[in-house]
Amino acid sequence: MGFGAAEADDLVQDAFVTFLETMDRFEGRARVSTWLHGILHHKAQERRRARTRDELVDPIDDVFEARFAADGRWSQPPVAPDRALASDEIAAALAECLDRLSPLQRDVFALRQIQELPAETVSKIVGRTVTHVGVLFHRARGHLRTCLEEKGWKASR
Amino acid sequence: MMTCKEVATLLSTGELDHASWLRRLAVRLHLAMCDRCAAFKRQLDAMARAAAALGRRLEADAPADLEARVVDRVTRTPGAPDRP
Repeated sequence: MGFGAAEADDLVQDAFVTFLETMDRFEGRARVSTWLHGILHHKAQERRRARTRDELVDPIDDVFEARFAADGRWSQPPVAPDRALASDEIAAALAECLDRLSPLQRDVFALRQIQELPAETVSKIVGRTVTHVGVLFHRARGHLRTCLEEKGWKASR
Repeated sequence: MMTCKEVATLLSTGELDHASWLRRLAVRLHLAMCDRCAAFKRQLDAMARAAAALGRRLEADAPADLEARVVDRVTRTPGAPDRP
């Protein structure tokens, strides 16, 4: 099904739990094995969608796209943060925003921007190509920009 | 001539770091002429400074075994091979 051994174990367990939870809806019209396979198939699709969300497509890509006109010019130009805001103030807001990222994007952002490691090194650590690390970094910064703009680049506390 | 979208993407992905000198020069020229992309770059710079500040703060009050735990977590769950 395209999952690693650990993830496959997880999936099967998950499917059995759902099977037990939904047993009262089982009307005996199908064989138990068919019913179980159906649940497993459904769980696998769910998980695949979650993974896709995390890695292959990200709605933040559309947010970025929407900021440009067809000719590649800004249609929603960025507003530079107030110069008077101290890095420490933004850092407090950033810490809150980092919690909202997917684990992989958070790792990439932390390694690239906090540890200041080059993309090649980060690529080896997270096991993704340099290009993919660039995409993940770009998405992480996109999410963080949206979050920081909501907070006015200041922590809510 | 590079578009704003190309410039913003090169900056945001970090790809500019390993772009050719010609491309880097083109981006510099674009930034000198384009207020909007310059504002975008200032956002990225502010984020980078904040991340550095956050890093210093975390370092000051991180538990001693944090690094070992992070390394352990990262090495225990290696990523699946990449799709092109």
